[in-house]
Formats: sequence, C-alpha cells, structure tokens
Amino acid sequence: MDTFPRRAALISVASAVAAPLALSPAAPAVVARAQASTLTDRVRRRPLFGAVQWQLPNGLRVVLAESRRAPVAAHYLYLGAGAGEDPAGRSGVAHFLEHFMFKGSPAVPSGAFSRVVAQEGGQDNAFTSRDVTAYFQTVEASRLPLMMRMEADRFAAPVLPADEVEPERGVIVEERRQRTDAVPRGRFREAFDAAMWGPQHWRGRPLIGWLDEIRAITRDDMAAFHARHYAPSNAILVVAGDVREADLRRWADEFYAPVPARPAPGRDRAPPPSQAAEPRIVRRDPTVREASFVRALAAPSATWAGFGGTPVMADPLDAVAHLLGGGPGSRLHAALVESGLCVSAGADYDGESYGVGTFGVFATPRPGVTPERVEETIDATLARLLDEGATEAEVARSVRQMTAGALLALDGLGAAPRMIGGALAIGLPLEDVEHWPERMAAVTRDQVNEAARAVLGGRHLETTGWLLPA
Amino acid sequence: MTTLFGVTLPQRRGFSVPIQVIAHRGITAWLVEERSVPVVSLAWGWPGGATLDAPGQEGTANLAAALLTEGAGPLRAVAFGDALRDAAINLGFSANREAFEGGLRALTDALPEAARLARLAMTEPRLDADAVDRIRARAVAGARQQLETPSGLARRAFWAAAFPEHPAGRLPTPESLAAARPEAMRALLSRQMRRDGLLVTASGAIGRDELVALLDQLFGELPAGAPPAPPALPPLADFGRTIAEKAAPQSAMLFAQDGPPPTDPDWEAFQVAIRILSGGDFSSRLTRRVREERGLTYGIGAGLDPLFGRSIVVGSVATENANVGEVWNLIRTAWTEMAEAGPTAEEVANAVAFLSGSLPLQFTDSRRTASLLLGLRQVGRTPEWLAGRPARLAALTRDGVAAACRRLLRPDGLALAVAGQPAGL
Repeated sequence: MDTFPRRAALISVASAVAAPLALSPAAPAVVARAQASTLTDRVRRRPLFGAVQWQLPNGLRVVLAESRRAPVAAHYLYLGAGAGEDPAGRSGVAHFLEHFMFKGSPAVPSGAFSRVVAQEGGQDNAFTSRDVTAYFQTVEASRLPLMMRMEADRFAAPVLPADEVEPERGVIVEERRQRTDAVPRGRFREAFDAAMWGPQHWRGRPLIGWLDEIRAITRDDMAAFHARHYAPSNAILVVAGDVREADLRRWADEFYAPVPARPAPGRDRAPPPSQAAEPRIVRRDPTVREASFVRALAAPSATWAGFGGTPVMADPLDAVAHLLGGGPGSRLHAALVESGLCVSAGADYDGESYGVGTFGVFATPRPGVTPERVEETIDATLARLLDEGATEAEVARSVRQMTAGALLALDGLGAAPRMIGGALAIGLPLEDVEHWPERMAAVTRDQVNEAARAVLGGRHLETTGWLLPA
Repeated sequence: MTTLFGVTLPQRRGFSVPIQVIAHRGITAWLVEERSVPVVSLAWGWPGGATLDAPGQEGTANLAAALLTEGAGPLRAVAFGDALRDAAINLGFSANREAFEGGLRALTDALPEAARLARLAMTEPRLDADAVDRIRARAVAGARQQLETPSGLARRAFWAAAFPEHPAGRLPTPESLAAARPEAMRALLSRQMRRDGLLVTASGAIGRDELVALLDQLFGELPAGAPPAPPALPPLADFGRTIAEKAAPQSAMLFAQDGPPPTDPDWEAFQVAIRILSGGDFSSRLTRRVREERGLTYGIGAGLDPLFGRSIVVGSVATENANVGEVWNLIRTAWTEMAEAGPTAEEVANAVAFLSGSLPLQFTDSRRTASLLLGLRQVGRTPEWLAGRPARLAALTRDGVAAACRRLLRPDGLALAVAGQPAGL
C-alpha cells in the first residue's frame, strides 16, 4: 500500500530542494529573479508528455506516453476506486482486494503473477490510495504484451481463493502494525483524521482499515467490491516507455477489449461534515520524544468547489502552500524555523483528490519551546497573510519554483503514468496534466489571496492537533 | 522464442551500457551519454564519510554535508536555496558509513548555474552559526525520533553490536550531534574534499568535451592529496543476539552474517543464492514461507551489501511480538537448508533471468544511472565487469551456486537484533 499524494508528487517533481529547512536572518525573504529559460518556455507552450489517448468499446481508456530512452516499458492499470469507496463498517476492503488480486486468475495461478514478472526481468507492485487502486509493472519493452495479458486476466476475473484469506489477513494486520500501531506518529495521524472527519466518514477512516474491520472483511466483501468498481469504464490503462502507438492499440484490442463492459459505478461519497467532529485533539504518548503540531483545514480540490460553491482554486492553493510553508524562504519557515522556535515547519496541500481536499500546517517545536508559543506564532503568521495578502514577489517566486523543474518529470518512466493515471482516475482530463506548468504560470496574486481567504479565513471545518511526550 | 499464457516472447534485445571513461587532470569520470531528455545528472564521492567523525562527535560528517547547501560564497542559506530552486537544480551532499558523496541533477540550460553553485558549495561553504544551529537541531530531532519506533531501535542496536570497535558501529546520537563543533566540521571538510580519491559519474544530455569542462569547473579548485584511508572493517562480531526492550505490539528484527569481499570469485553465485533465499520480492523462499504461507509479516528480505571492501548479508522483518520465535526459526531453517542443499536448478535459472533481464530497468533515469555507476566504482568494478555480467550470470550452474552456499552461508553465525517485546526466543 502506498498513499502517494499525486498532485503533491507532481509538484515535488518540479521543486528542486524538498527538505524545507533553511533561512537566514540577513537574506531577503524573496529573490525576484525573473529568469525564463528556453526550456521553461517550451514547457509552458507544449504538452509535458505528449501522451495520446483513446477508448476501447468496453469503456477502458488507454493512454500512451512514449519515451525511447531505454528499451523499457511501464504498464499501469488505475481503477477509479480506492479506500474512499470502502463500504460502511468495512474499511480496508479496497486495500485487502489489492493484495488479493495477486492470488490468481483463470490463466495465472496464485502467486505466479509476480514470479513471472521477475523471471522476465521485471518489477511489479500495487498501491491503494483514498481515490485509486493501481497495479503496475516495469519490464523490458518486449515483455509488455505478456504484462497486458496477465493484468487483463485478473482485472476481468480474479479467483479470490477462500483458503488464502486468513494468511493474507495476517499479512495486512502486520502491515498495519508496521505502519501504524508500532509507530506513535502513525497512531496519532490516524486518530487526528478520525477526530476531524469522524471515524466512519470516508475521509476519516484509515486507508488500510480499522483493525476490527480488517478482521471482519470476507471474501464476499472483496468480490462485491470487484464486481462494483473493477469495470473497464472505471479504469485507465497508462503505458510509458519504448512502445509504438500502433502496437499498443493492437495489444489493447487483443487483451483488454474482451473484458466485458459493465455500467460505470460512479462514486458515492458523503459530503464533508459542516464542522469537525473534534476541533482539537491532544494526545500524550509515553513513547514519543518530540512534540508535533498539525492543523488540517477542509479545502477546495480540483474536483470539489468548496463549501460556498467557490470556483475551483487548486492551482492558487498550491501557491499558497508554497509561499506559506514550502521550505526556506516561506513565511512559516521564517517565523518558526529561522526564529529558533521549531526544528521544522511548513504547509501542504493536496488538491488532486476526489471530493473535499485538505490544506495542512505542521511544525515540530525545539525542545523547551511551549506548544502555546508555537501555536500563537502560527496563528499570527496565518492572520498576517490574511490581513496583508501575499506580495507579487512572493507569488512570482512560488510559481517560478514550482514550475521550473516540470521537465524533470521526463527523466524516468514513473512520473508520466502516475501523474496521468492519478488525474484521469478522479475525472480530470489529460490536458490538466499535460499543461499544468502553463496553468500554474497563469496564477495571479488576486487568485492566491482569494484562495488563502477561502481556506484559512473560512473556518468551516478544521482540526488542530498536538502529539506530546507523556 | 517461447510462449507464455499464449503470448509469444521474442528473444530479448541485447542490452549494454555504453560507458565512456574520461581521464582529465587526475580525475576520472564514467559517462553514459543519453540525449533523449534535456537533463544531466552527476554523482561523485570520496572514501571517508562517517569514518572521519571523532569518537563522541558522531554525525559531524553528516552535519557538514548538509551544511554545504546551507549557504556558500556570498549567498546565505535562503539565497542559496532560492538560487537552486529558481532553476530547479537538485544539489545535495551526504555522508554515509564509508563515503562522502555529492549529487547534482539539472536541466541542460541550468547546468552552468548548477556548476557555479556546486563549486561554491564545495570551495566556499559558509557554515554560518545560525545555519549550523538549525541543521544540528534538525539532526538531533531526527536521532531522537529514531528511538520512538522498534525499527529505529533495532537498527541502532544492530550496528552497535555488529561493529563495536569500528566507526561503522557508532551511529550519531543526540549527545554526539550536540558535541560536533563547526571547527571540526570545517576540518573534516578540508580533509575530505580532495582531488585524489574522487570518483565521478555522469549521465544524460552531456558529451565528453562538455563533461571535461564541467569537471574543471566543479573540482579544479580542490586541493591536491587524498582523504585519509578508512580504517579496515573487522568481521561482523559474533554477537549472537541482542534485544532492545520497547513497548510496542510488533517487534522489528535485523539479522545478518558476514559476507565475502566483492572480489570473491563466487560473488555473483552468492548474489544469486541470496536472491533465492531472501530477495525482497515475491520470488524468495523467506517471503513464500513467512509471508505468503503463514501471514506472519508484511515483508521480509535480506541483501548482500558491500561494506569497506568486505560485505555483510543483512535482512529485516517485523512481526507481532508473539511470533518472533517462530519467524526466527523459519529464517534459521531456511538458511540451514540453503547452506546444506543449495537451490534447485529452476530457482537458479529464474534468479539469473531476473538479474540479467532487469539490467535495462536500472538505466531509465539519469540520476539513478549516475548513482548506480558510482556504486559500482566504489566497490572497484570496471566497465568491462559490467559488460561481462550477463555472460557470467548465464554461466552459473546449480552446483556452482550450491557450492558457494556451502562455503559462504553461516546458519550458525546468523546474528539477530530485535526491538520490541519479543516472545519465543
């Protein structure tokens, strides 16, 4: 399982230095150096990957992002269903099914999928996020048809063998322990989401599932999830690498077109609550050495307009997160890290999600600094941004730094399928991915300030949390 | 030409990595030129790293490495960071157990700026007091957070027990990080960053002549001489078992044995054996027995890691406290069976197919390519070694791998570090 935040990943591909940790008092907080290189010009005019897309008669969408750098192909099948589609009282079904898809299909015996991929020199895996479930392999290009054959086989008709449910449940419970139950920060993060959204709201449940609900999942739950959500019209096939369009069309017709068409299920998610279940959560944990602060605010996303029907403002919100808390040179970094109050501090935003998005603020105080002092400073920093607004120079710097490295996404085979698959699986068009640098470059100061007010000044739904040493 | 699930599999195209070796004013670089994407990556390193830390000041090299990009020449930290981010330049330095390394990736049109900043970082690092304070606080918090989880504790316990008399066994602690002085960092940097002992690799949209010019720009001003040679590593201590108590529902286990030097003629046979026994994906015996058949863990794997001209086989697994004894028995049984009987012919064929077939996958992005080549150079490999690898792998036999298992696997010498509240040991 992997909780890959796709839009955030997209931005981090572009940002040079991810570690948000440096600021010095004498340096200007903003360096306005308008340097438009030829490559930057190129990425603002032309599609990033130059991908082509088409649709099979059964509804499956196929995308090819060709790259001839090495004789290698990456093959990704994205389903437009993730943990957010888990049925009530059965959190963890999407993820359990992801594991169980490796347990055989009509042509491929249980466990053979990954062994065949390895024998052919390839690598494979899968992940479940809130919005998607994805299966992928990277292989020498001549092995792509074999991958398509095997993936289409289990996509259409996984065996879901009843006698393997219990061992796999053990694996998943150990996965949960390793990520969450044995990790104080993992436990806190889970409690925080439940406190904010409610423990049975789709946004408040853990992706991997609550322990007692994992224990209750049956083979029938998985079969029902598969029958409902694993329809060709709810899937996107993305191939990147050394592959010609004519070949891919032929193979897609041969292997994926026979998968029977089924009605598109759609997503049936509850709206966000009008206010937080718990606006404040403080946990003391004897195994914790360092205090942590986190605040999350409900925010518009690329697919959700916000409480007031505000126009979609995902791009401006990316800029807000960057100038407020995107590492050295940002406002939170100056107020908290440079000042010596905190070890780290920043903001994050994941707007490429289905339904309500989340804007976050986080900080780790230095030993001896009180939580009150940290929280006051954060509140004052947010208030100042709302009062004064962001400056032209700040917005220009954020836009520049977020887009400068867009072309770095071409260096490797993983970025194209992940960005494209993630976007299409939540209903966004391919153009949103291909032209995001151009769109980001067009973001204005007024849009940024409007977005900041809508999220940080709205106080619709937010929770503040502290994890403290006991 | 074979068929699998009705799909015809053509013979794989031969794949080779065209490495150019460039020697220029005492510095040699390996280059894999590839112009389909306008990106260039460089990786470089010197022997040293954490071996240059004074006892009681472990972490000095890590801090010094992090501080190189926290202000250099006329640019203080934020200005330096903005210069990098404005042009999407990835520049970073790190210190590991036995080496000090730098890495650079940039779009081609940002390469001159990248070279300027990298040179500044190496020749005129500022080490401003506020930057030192900030980076140190971050490192201390990281070291403290590592003590919060079973996996962090197990790692610390393992290295301390495995190499008690060598710098490899001494990980940074909050106390040692606090004791690392800026003067010691400066002294370490000047001993470390020399023209001799420097290994450089490059990949991407850059040719021989451009790389020569870049080498001059980046490294031309470094002082002559070599960094001090790292102290020889003793064999992994026969510590048997060490347990760090930690209140948690799951125990983290690290298990290890001594391995052969990378120059051992059976190195590749042993790599194949370790992949069959404990490789991280779903092909290995340990994954099948511990995860697939019994559901005792989310993941188990062990690999063969070169270390100071020697190697260790080191693996990890996490399981519910009550199952630690059972998992440990499964590991030792698998180890013993492999040492005594070796693999099957089919297992060898599959492992060889993976190791040779996956070679092209390692060369799909410039940063990974440069980093992989640097790793090869650090263990003394040559371009010829890499070119000959598919043929050597293909020549391996079941009996040859079984003999390597008999000679090199040590079921009785398998050491275990556990953190948690393990039962059944």
